[in-house]
Amino acid sequence: MADQNKTDTEGTFFSEILSPSELFAARSRSHKIPVRGQKDFFPNDSDEQRQRLEQSLNEHWSLISEERVERLGNLVRATWIPSDQTVELQSPAGKFWQTMGFSADGKQYLLPEEALYLMECGNLQVFYKDLPLSIQDGYERFLSSNTVRLQQYQVFGHLKRLGYVVHRFDPSSEPSPYVRQLNLPQSRDRAGRQLKRKRSASPTPTCSHSEAQEESTTERMEEDKGNHDGEENKKPPESHLTTSPETAQVQTATTSTTDEGGGRTWWTTDVLRDLGKGSDHSPTSGSSRWDFSSISFPDLGSRGQLSSRLASPDPSLLPGALAVGVCDVASWRQRINLREVRLSSKEQRREEDKRRRRWDVNKDKEVQRCRNWAEYQELLARRQGRRKGRPAHLWNREVTPLHDPRQLIPTGELLDKISVIKSTNLLEGASRLKGSDEWKICFNVYQPDSVADFKKSNPGKPYSRMCVCSFNDPVPDLRAIKLLASQSGDVPVVIAVVDHGDISFYTFKDFQLPKDVYP
Amino acid sequence: MDEPPCREEPPACEEEEDMSLSNVVGLSLCDSAPLLWRVQDLKTVRFQGLVGALLGSLPRTPRQNGRLGRPLLLLPEEERLLSEHQAAAALPASNQDGVGEEICQWVEKYREEQQRSFAEQSVLALEDRKSALLQAMTSSHTGSHAGLGTSAKALQGRLEALDRSFSFPRSAMAVQLSTVRAGLTYCPKDRAFLQADWPIRAQYNPHCDIRYQVFRDLSGRGFYLTSAGKFGGDFLVYPGDPLRFHAHFIAVCLSLDEAVSLLDLLSVARLGSNVKKTVLLCSPGPDGGVRYTSLQWSGMV
Repeated sequence: MADQNKTDTEGTFFSEILSPSELFAARSRSHKIPVRGQKDFFPNDSDEQRQRLEQSLNEHWSLISEERVERLGNLVRATWIPSDQTVELQSPAGKFWQTMGFSADGKQYLLPEEALYLMECGNLQVFYKDLPLSIQDGYERFLSSNTVRLQQYQVFGHLKRLGYVVHRFDPSSEPSPYVRQLNLPQSRDRAGRQLKRKRSASPTPTCSHSEAQEESTTERMEEDKGNHDGEENKKPPESHLTTSPETAQVQTATTSTTDEGGGRTWWTTDVLRDLGKGSDHSPTSGSSRWDFSSISFPDLGSRGQLSSRLASPDPSLLPGALAVGVCDVASWRQRINLREVRLSSKEQRREEDKRRRRWDVNKDKEVQRCRNWAEYQELLARRQGRRKGRPAHLWNREVTPLHDPRQLIPTGELLDKISVIKSTNLLEGASRLKGSDEWKICFNVYQPDSVADFKKSNPGKPYSRMCVCSFNDPVPDLRAIKLLASQSGDVPVVIAVVDHGDISFYTFKDFQLPKDVYP
Repeated sequence: MDEPPCREEPPACEEEEDMSLSNVVGLSLCDSAPLLWRVQDLKTVRFQGLVGALLGSLPRTPRQNGRLGRPLLLLPEEERLLSEHQAAAALPASNQDGVGEEICQWVEKYREEQQRSFAEQSVLALEDRKSALLQAMTSSHTGSHAGLGTSAKALQGRLEALDRSFSFPRSAMAVQLSTVRAGLTYCPKDRAFLQADWPIRAQYNPHCDIRYQVFRDLSGRGFYLTSAGKFGGDFLVYPGDPLRFHAHFIAVCLSLDEAVSLLDLLSVARLGSNVKKTVLLCSPGPDGGVRYTSLQWSGMV
């Protein structure tokens, strides 16, 4: 293919278009890449070195200048739709359909990064206004902040070339931390819906700055409503028909969990509020608003002097707007047995004995100081402890020792117990952080060996998730890392750092310090 | 060290006009990154000692990362060097954004070309088949002298039959998926519009400025530089073309009055020795030159 290397003559200076004969000849060209030889250490102006350099450069330029030539029959034809930022297939899709693209309204679409990658692989020819787009056009038209940035595409292409299945990350299709915590099966219905997007609902851009685009989508949505009104009406029952009872069940499960989730948050905040009040709350509940020592309760059973009419109670003790007049108790007294209890002498003695022997709990001063059951229990525990030789003075204040020496536990656990600063993990407290725009997960990555039985409708758990940044960007702080981790769940988040042509992958991982204690 | 030619010459000289024009490379922005697309431009910048980074899949074997193809991404320093030397121009925008008749003309032209290409390729395919047949027949009959006459006749018959029956399906036609935007070839006049007017895009960051001064100095001394993010430095410095030579230095750009933490210094030095490269601390001086300092571990035992 020596004649393919262009000479620098005027006529061909800008021409990188092949003639029909060149095209024809290119059908049988080799697909081998020349191996690079061992590099030299230092240039020494020798002819040998110069020759080797020249040869390397020649190989390099012949590789670089080679144009993509494909048989028309092997090419999938597609059109670029700038308003949707998608590419619509015009001819049947190839093998790539198993892992790429989505269908909507009975048509097949590719996302711009997928289309560009396939163009680069020589599988796809994209037309715009009936003219084919070059690779350059693809880069310039498809890559933007509305779709995928150049750096993100570099990472996408790098991973695709390695064989990974790479999809855009859609935070809304991920289960919430709560659902994950309960280990609920993820609604398959939801994933299906995401795949079979309406044409109007353009794919979520990986970057958020897309106000202009959003405007246009809403416009189109209205337009679409006009067009597909009938369809839209037909859709819901159809989808009900297709969902199996199982998925229906799952769906009810998810809806109920969302309800519960709402309930739960309400409940936790309530608890938090309680906790916040905690210290000053309990004493108020302990001592009642009413001082019973000063309120006299009439003893209707007493045989002493009691007028047959009870005076009306203090109005401040009554619930508002309730007026109680003077009460005639004579009729009540008639119904009560007012006879004196007569005990035999034997019984009397026994009673006396019992009273003497019995230690009345209520007489205990400390017990009397207890305001509720919990405090009494505490008191009992304290007394128990004193009896068993735990120094009480260490335990009766707010600050107590970290460990109760009477409790026997393994050394490892003990060390754990007395470690004042606990180690934390990445996910701890992450759900309480608010989202940030700075760091976003771009892609879900699935391993190459899963390609054979990969299903777009049910991709399963990704191998990892990708964030893309450059060396000029700041290092993500703990907050960002926690956020990403909580967004990703149990799938590791990998940060792809793009340095011009180079891509390096880094992961922040929880590290448990080893403990050299064997119980 | 090779001193790459035509580097330090001021590009405005009268007699250099022609030379510098052919050295003007066409840049285009993709998501604000400067990309080179045309092979000739790639050669031009490489000739000037600028390496850049290839980003695209290689047409020959697209599904690998070992060797990549066009486009070539320039470092910001490379871009600035080119624009300061007035050696960069914006590639013309696509003509597919035109409207109405203009587009119709292009489409018409494209269809004609496809038709012509198909016709030519079917002729070529027929010839190809014929020569293959000829070769097969003659090679199988060279042994037997007796049947020469009959075989010639048979051959003639086969060739005629082939002529009649041969059809070249459209799906077998080879088409080119152009790397570079085709607009320029359709309209050679566009070349005249290529003016070396690439603006120096603002870099307010003082560190960028330091990087640029170091880059310009090292590149002026004939070194080839690439980005050294994965080595924890600013540039990897090659003594010759990176195709044939290993990098010798990791350049770390610092301003002269910048305080450096000892730990940082030790970590880059340690890294450098681990990858068998010398770490250069590069600081542009007030006189326009650049101070280079290397750190060496001296083993006093």
